[in-house]
Amino acid sequence: MDVSSMKIRDMRKALDNKEISARELASEYISKIKEYDGDLKCYITLAEEQAYEQADSAQEIINGGNSKPLTGIPLAIKDNICTIGVKTTCASRMLENFIPPYNATVMEKLDSQNIVMLGKTSMDEFAMGGSTQTSAFAKTKNPYNKECVPGGSSGGSAAAVSAGLCAAALGSDTGGSIRQPSSFCGVTGMKPTYGRVSRYGLVAFASSLDQIGPIGRDSRDCAVILNAICGYDPHDGTSEKVPTEDFSAKIGQPVKGMKIALPKEFFADGINDDVRNAVLRAADTYKAMGAEIIECSMPSLKYAVPAYYLLACAEAASNLSRYDGIKYGHRAEKADSYEDLVVKSRTQGFGDEVKRRILLGNYALSSGYYDAYYRKALALRQLIREEYAAIFEKCDVIVTPTAPTAAYTPEMTSDPVQMYQADICTVTVNIAGLPAVSTTCGYDNDGMPIGMSVIGRKFDESTVLQVSDAFERDFTPIAPKL
Amino acid sequence: MVKYLAELSKLEFSDEELAKTAGEMTDIIDLMDTVKEIDITYDAVKDNHNVYLNDLRQDVCAASMPTEGILQNAVNSEKCFVVPKVVE
Repeated sequence: MDVSSMKIRDMRKALDNKEISARELASEYISKIKEYDGDLKCYITLAEEQAYEQADSAQEIINGGNSKPLTGIPLAIKDNICTIGVKTTCASRMLENFIPPYNATVMEKLDSQNIVMLGKTSMDEFAMGGSTQTSAFAKTKNPYNKECVPGGSSGGSAAAVSAGLCAAALGSDTGGSIRQPSSFCGVTGMKPTYGRVSRYGLVAFASSLDQIGPIGRDSRDCAVILNAICGYDPHDGTSEKVPTEDFSAKIGQPVKGMKIALPKEFFADGINDDVRNAVLRAADTYKAMGAEIIECSMPSLKYAVPAYYLLACAEAASNLSRYDGIKYGHRAEKADSYEDLVVKSRTQGFGDEVKRRILLGNYALSSGYYDAYYRKALALRQLIREEYAAIFEKCDVIVTPTAPTAAYTPEMTSDPVQMYQADICTVTVNIAGLPAVSTTCGYDNDGMPIGMSVIGRKFDESTVLQVSDAFERDFTPIAPKL
Repeated sequence: MVKYLAELSKLEFSDEELAKTAGEMTDIIDLMDTVKEIDITYDAVKDNHNVYLNDLRQDVCAASMPTEGILQNAVNSEKCFVVPKVVE
């Protein structure tokens, strides 16, 4: 059975109808990982033995007729989500040997459905980057063109889904880290509303922006995973007490009569022509389906990237101060004093991009600069939220490009400023805490996937998935040739 | 400035790294300076309507993680975290 293109719903049927066993399904994926991942480098850790044990447990549940939507489904997990007993490195030398003594809440929830965890996927170090090239262990390649990056920071997860090296995956999104790699790798990725999914056990980068979400072959697969991982968690003070719902419920309903807004600033200079044209063609598709397309404006977009980096780096500088070489993480061997131990451990353990962001965060928070940078960024966060609120008074969802370009070569990642500016299309969603899905809407002249983002109101993931799914039903994706 | 930030950040840079990082930080701060162009003020009271307030758990006794589990990731751990000798 070729599992590369199977959706979760197809696997569910095949497992429940006993056309394939959970062990056989896991074996198919593990064989494929062994064949292709040496080159693609999606995974940092392959959890083969545990995967087979989990498959056998899942099979017992299936045999008893008690399977849940994800029972026996082989998933990959981004390596910044704590997995009890399985290394969680954040793709950093700092956590090279870190084995969590507890599970993230999302892992508890997935385990309660008896998933099969194939392994932990590569990422930019501490989720800081958009290319997966800052990973200390596995610089993932794009399955569509191995000379190109898969995007990031959840590049390992997105590439693994794209290449058929897992059924679906979890990623995390602080400034676009689920949506942008999904766009680059031609898959569907969702950043849920801030507070929808517990962050307990997600290694913190920027706590007011981080959110765990699914990456799948389509919106329906993402809905199934979101159903499994969402919900209030007393371990996360920022998870919200909102009713859980079936995020598949509106999928398949027509978009006729819906109002879809296109903010003009997201289509301005700096957006590649192929990308702009593909997203505008997608808007035409929605129009042909009976949706109303509205032009709108988000003037604050000009300030979004610096506001995001000031907020994210300030929070990162604080969050990463916990790495002192004592409780866990890399510990320098020769240190004369406590101070020396902390400085040497951090200097040896962190990579260049992480260090840059810690420096920037401490700059923004330091005396004399706090008001000019950090407090101004907080004001911009308010402004961006207000502008989104004003747009949502007139529409149901917003559609934008996911990234200014399709995937590029690793050489393009050498200039940090250029890399930061490439986040222009995604960061406002995190700043405002909104849900958004990226799905493939076309291919550029080189055959590289182009992503379109559908952004919704807070806690309106169902509508976002309804709209992205409507497009997917009208679109024929092209699979990568491995 | 970068040297001062490195001290705040508990990081060490060689002279060569310092020079490279200073150049990069200059470019990055130029980008961050864009926020100075807009005349707006942060309103903390207004922000409280938008940001979910932390829902803290009740302060009650509960089982904690096993000590062995917590110490398994500490290098040089015996039955506690070990730090270099501190003599005042």
